[in-house]
Amino acid sequence: MTSSTDELTADYLQRLAAVQPSDLPADLDLFSEDTATRGIRLNKAAYSLKHAEQRELFAADEERWMEQFGLTGEERDLLRRRDWIGLWRGGMTIYVMVKLSGVTGTPLPEIGKQMREAG
Amino acid sequence: MARVIGGIGASHAPSMEHVYDAGDDVRRNDEWEPLFGPFSEVSSWLAELRPDRLVVIYNDHMDEFFLNAYPTFALGVADSYPVADEGFGARPFPPLPGDAALGWHIARSLVADEFDPTICQELEVDHGVLSPLPMVDFAEGEGAWRIPIVPLAVNVILHPLPTPRRCWKLGQAVRRAILSYPEDLGVVVVGTGGLSHQLTGPRFGAVTPEWDQEFMRLLAEDPERLCDYTHEDLIKLGGTESVEVVNWLAMRGALGPEATAKVTAYYPHKIMGYGLQSYAVAA
Repeated sequence: MTSSTDELTADYLQRLAAVQPSDLPADLDLFSEDTATRGIRLNKAAYSLKHAEQRELFAADEERWMEQFGLTGEERDLLRRRDWIGLWRGGMTIYVMVKLSGVTGTPLPEIGKQMREAG
Repeated sequence: MARVIGGIGASHAPSMEHVYDAGDDVRRNDEWEPLFGPFSEVSSWLAELRPDRLVVIYNDHMDEFFLNAYPTFALGVADSYPVADEGFGARPFPPLPGDAALGWHIARSLVADEFDPTICQELEVDHGVLSPLPMVDFAEGEGAWRIPIVPLAVNVILHPLPTPRRCWKLGQAVRRAILSYPEDLGVVVVGTGGLSHQLTGPRFGAVTPEWDQEFMRLLAEDPERLCDYTHEDLIKLGGTESVEVVNWLAMRGALGPEATAKVTAYYPHKIMGYGLQSYAVAA
């Protein structure tokens, strides 16, 4: 009989560890289980901006635009304040943040400046 | 039978699109000549090589795929790939021509090879394809693309990501798919992304030229060494978003052992380490 510890070889355990980077500096946050779970509403919101009609709604009535995604009060505040580092910490990926940078007229270097200064 | 006749590794970035769209004066000014000059060399080489198809290994940036169901590998099996609206309106290019029959063949071959991609009959492609491709494959005079593509998207966004070794093996499987296609086609495999860049957090804008050049050297001379790197290694060396270089590794895996690097260009500028590499494959 094979016990489960025989099946969980050292090679397998090494491979399992390698897909979960765990030794990164704190300021190199990964988009993985925690961030993806935390950020799903914010990501859904900003992702919607790939559609022109969502951009039009954002421009016309940002509050009404925000109502569509089940955002928490804190998440809405981050959006209202254009708090880029806060949005990132809230789990928003840079790829949808770029769409938000478009509708808010914030150039990427400006977002970068805020991120660097927050560090 | 189809053959793999060359390879291209190229960075992708919205900045490259802005420069291209601004026209020749900007592309060839002092700021951008270090990148667009080499692109023009690669373009001339490709025009001479006259490939029948491009297989483009890239990553989407949440312009087509979203987190509700994020595919690890996704393969296009369409005859046409529209340009995605990334949030600013789509760039004014016609849809890219595809080759559905070759796409389906690659899908079957990958599955036979124990790679199981998401199969896409509709796929909008974003700057992962669209930022380097016009420089090598768009006839501006005619306003038309020259070469039909098969796009293959790799998840480099939502961890767990397919490992560098897995992407290398994916490239080898793509090679077998091409070699087993009955039509007599010359195929160039393109891998896009990287090199070093960090777009999130307090290290925003960090670029690491020494590693980027070492990466391109290893890719040319000893690509299997790169399979031993973990994502953690790559992130520490080149930044969180630099893991896109696995697309280059997949491309390299598709070229076979006899490929040699021709053009190798590198230009660290502002927040990007821009790289470009072309590979010749002996006939």
